[in-house]
Amino acid sequence: MAEISKDLHTEHMVINMGPSHPVTHGTVKFLATLEGETIVDLDVEIGYLHRGFEKMCENSTWQQVIPYTDRLNYVSPLINNTGYALAVEKLLGIDVPERCKYLRVIACELSRLSDHLTNVAAAGLELGAFTAFLYFVEARELVWDLIESLCGARVTVNYVRIGGLKNDLPERFEEKVRYVFKEVRRLWVDVDKLLTKNRIFIDRVRGVGAISAEEAIAYGFTGPCLRACGVPYDVRKAQPYLVYDRMDFEVPIGETGDNYDKYLVRMEEIQQSMRIVEQALAQMPDGPINVRLPQVRMEPKEKIYSRIDSLIYHFKTVIEGIKPPPGEVYLAVEGGNGELGFYLVSDGSGKPYKCRVRPPCFALTAAMPRLVKGRLLADIVPTFDMINMIGGECDR
Amino acid sequence: MSTTTGLGQTPYSVQVGIPAATLKAKRVRRRLDLTLWERLYVAEIVRGLVVTSKHFFINMIGFIFPPAGKKRKVFTVYYPEEKLELPPAYRGRPVLVADADGTEKCVACGLCEKMCPAHAISIVAAEKAPGERYPARYTLDLGRCVYCGYCEEVCPTEAIVMSDEYQGLAQRDRNRLRFEKEQLLRPEAKVKTRLYYVRRIYSKWNY
Amino acid sequence: MLADLIESLAKIVFIFTVNVGVFAPILGWVERKQSAVMQDRIGANRADILGFTAIGLFHSLADALKLLTKEDFVPANANKFFHTLAPFIALVPAIAAFAIIPFGGRYELFGHEINLVIADLDVGILYVFALAGLATYGTVLAGWSSRSNWSLLGGLRASAQMLSYEVAMGFSIIGIIIVYGSLRLTDIGAMQEDFFRWGIFLQPVGFIIYMTCAIAENKRIPFDIPEAESELVAGYFTEYSGMKFVMFWMAEFLEMVTISAIVTTLFFGAWHIPFVTDAMLLSWFQFAGPNGAAALAMLVNIVVFFTKVSFFIWLQMTIRWTLPRFRYDQVMRMCWKMLLPLSLINLSITGLVVLLL
Repeated sequence: MAEISKDLHTEHMVINMGPSHPVTHGTVKFLATLEGETIVDLDVEIGYLHRGFEKMCENSTWQQVIPYTDRLNYVSPLINNTGYALAVEKLLGIDVPERCKYLRVIACELSRLSDHLTNVAAAGLELGAFTAFLYFVEARELVWDLIESLCGARVTVNYVRIGGLKNDLPERFEEKVRYVFKEVRRLWVDVDKLLTKNRIFIDRVRGVGAISAEEAIAYGFTGPCLRACGVPYDVRKAQPYLVYDRMDFEVPIGETGDNYDKYLVRMEEIQQSMRIVEQALAQMPDGPINVRLPQVRMEPKEKIYSRIDSLIYHFKTVIEGIKPPPGEVYLAVEGGNGELGFYLVSDGSGKPYKCRVRPPCFALTAAMPRLVKGRLLADIVPTFDMINMIGGECDR
Repeated sequence: MSTTTGLGQTPYSVQVGIPAATLKAKRVRRRLDLTLWERLYVAEIVRGLVVTSKHFFINMIGFIFPPAGKKRKVFTVYYPEEKLELPPAYRGRPVLVADADGTEKCVACGLCEKMCPAHAISIVAAEKAPGERYPARYTLDLGRCVYCGYCEEVCPTEAIVMSDEYQGLAQRDRNRLRFEKEQLLRPEAKVKTRLYYVRRIYSKWNY
Repeated sequence: MLADLIESLAKIVFIFTVNVGVFAPILGWVERKQSAVMQDRIGANRADILGFTAIGLFHSLADALKLLTKEDFVPANANKFFHTLAPFIALVPAIAAFAIIPFGGRYELFGHEINLVIADLDVGILYVFALAGLATYGTVLAGWSSRSNWSLLGGLRASAQMLSYEVAMGFSIIGIIIVYGSLRLTDIGAMQEDFFRWGIFLQPVGFIIYMTCAIAENKRIPFDIPEAESELVAGYFTEYSGMKFVMFWMAEFLEMVTISAIVTTLFFGAWHIPFVTDAMLLSWFQFAGPNGAAALAMLVNIVVFFTKVSFFIWLQMTIRWTLPRFRYDQVMRMCWKMLLPLSLINLSITGLVVLLL
């Protein structure tokens, strides 16, 4: 066979799976050099969704950055909000009340649910299982309804504030959570029956996109993709923030790091996230949800309407911004895709000097060529799906 | 807890410093023992068909005998004939609140302008009588607004709120998206629910 | 002579109307609505005429009108002759295959013997395979003559897939032919009068293999690699629009009907109701006289046949919307390494059993 192919005059075909392609969910360009159907080389180009997040942060006050962080990983916006707020609070050296921590945990886990549901749904869609996609989209709609009742918007949430939260839980939230989780679990069982042991699905995703743990760490993987390789690293367990050390949840670990493991890890994390939310709702104490520091967090409206010092603090923090002491901080939270890090530098003024985001899916996308080289063209589809590259996060 | 991996290469262990009791790792069920029928594709395909057929028949029957309180079993809300019920927290289009005599409550302090992350608001302030400020021009560019709710949050006079309007926001010309004060005013009675909500969430008992 | 001519014309008109006039537009509606109900949604039902929506049936009409009025173009530098010819080659076998499908038994009407099949060929089932072979050309020519990378990939994949699955399909049917001892579809249908002589009981493995191969021939999910929507934009018919696109689309639906019809005829008792023989059926309608009884019996046969065909269409649609799709090399591996050996084993066992009994 090798002699025959030496005699045949073949050319490598370069196919451009361009920024807008039905299968690459996220704007990214793949230049695949094909020999027949085998991929010889893959060139990944990102940056089609670069909007200048870091530059915009330098021109806005610390509080104004929060709606920008919504739009980083736009399928799990509450995690971005929380990460940024925690980083600024670390810079300021303040600690939020207990109830606020529990509520932030609930918000993060609801967002993580939405992220994993979207990812598995998109994987089903691009492999041709349209019904699995729509079942998980229905589940995601229900989770979004919860988030909407919590803070008023489904995706651009703008819920977490520096030093607290925007508002407390709405009425009958626990009832709604119970109903929604019952439906989500029912749909989870349906999709599990449709996909997990389906030989067609397994043939498409098992053994594809496998990577060893050492290589994964060398590339900088974190999150579900790293856990699928067998490395038991989760930021919520390694450097617990908020009240994760009081939550009882398991971390699913895979074995070979291929797409099937990533899928299984994400499916299991959906269940664990629901567990965490239920525990948090049960353990949550009563109390305030904002710190009592007028120079950091806006005071209740009664005070602003009636007291002059509250009014002055209010005007000053809005117009000039809160003023963390000069310094730098790095804080990482567990995003939907991995370790979402915020590196903030403050120069003492009301605007950040630098706000850098460590996007988890940047490293994952960088490993795409390594994952698909030598495999068929059709393998790009499930591999890229399970990496869950979110354009807003990778390109910022 | 360390884990040794090696897909045929020299294995060396990866050290991760989380004690196993804290970590509570759970191996995913990767090595599925597929039965012969499952390996022959047939069993799982039949199971998948049963799942979707179940949805199919339950939904079909739900068209004829809808469940209690709903018009049909399927998840769809038949917009625009039926509309979703919005929660009180819903952030729609920002509107200016007009008090009883039709003038705006806004005192043109400029906080919403400074706070807006999209720089959508621009105010020209003026004074009617000494101490009585009002906005001579209040322009909200709905093309820039991201519906974040910050203007409502920082307003010291409850003059701007996020109403529940989400329809009719489209225009054919970008210049017509810049709404002036007159287009933004709403009588207080119309936005009463939102005002009560805002007062409730920012009051010191919920804070 | 004249009576024969009228009879044949009547049958042709009937089948053509039912197929192209009723099934093709209805199947478009069924696909939308069935997939919608399976996925917890309503489906397309907004197209209306003077305010009557007719639960979405007008969407088929709207589709037809829209596609008729689209610009009909041939890509630059493409082979114009083959580009235009390909949809016809794809469509004609799908319609013509219905010529030998019997949708009822033999009845005497006004002294004239009517056989409810358009052409009662000696070689029955082989005619269908011949046409399936022709249909391959349509796809391949479409992919090649469009002068586009994506279409070429789709056409290549289609050619390999369709050729391979024809082989396996042929072998799976030989089992049925051995069991019933005849190639004529009318004979096979007549022999299934007894419920326990239905093909599904005599050749269950053959049924599964045939169903799989037929879905692969038709290029539906899970075998829709040639037109994989998410990988290759639209595969071999990327460069088609307007009526030519309609022809490909109709060919796919009509082939679904053909597959269901063949499956019904060979495996599920053709036009028979279980446990009801022809004589019993005629005796039920004795009140209308011999001609009336024959006419009513024919009607019942046709209704039963098309009900079974509808069930298999529903099954194919459910399969389409449930399963993910195969990768290309897995499709080929499944055919050559799994289905073909399985059908050969089935064939040998069948032959052995028939020899011994």
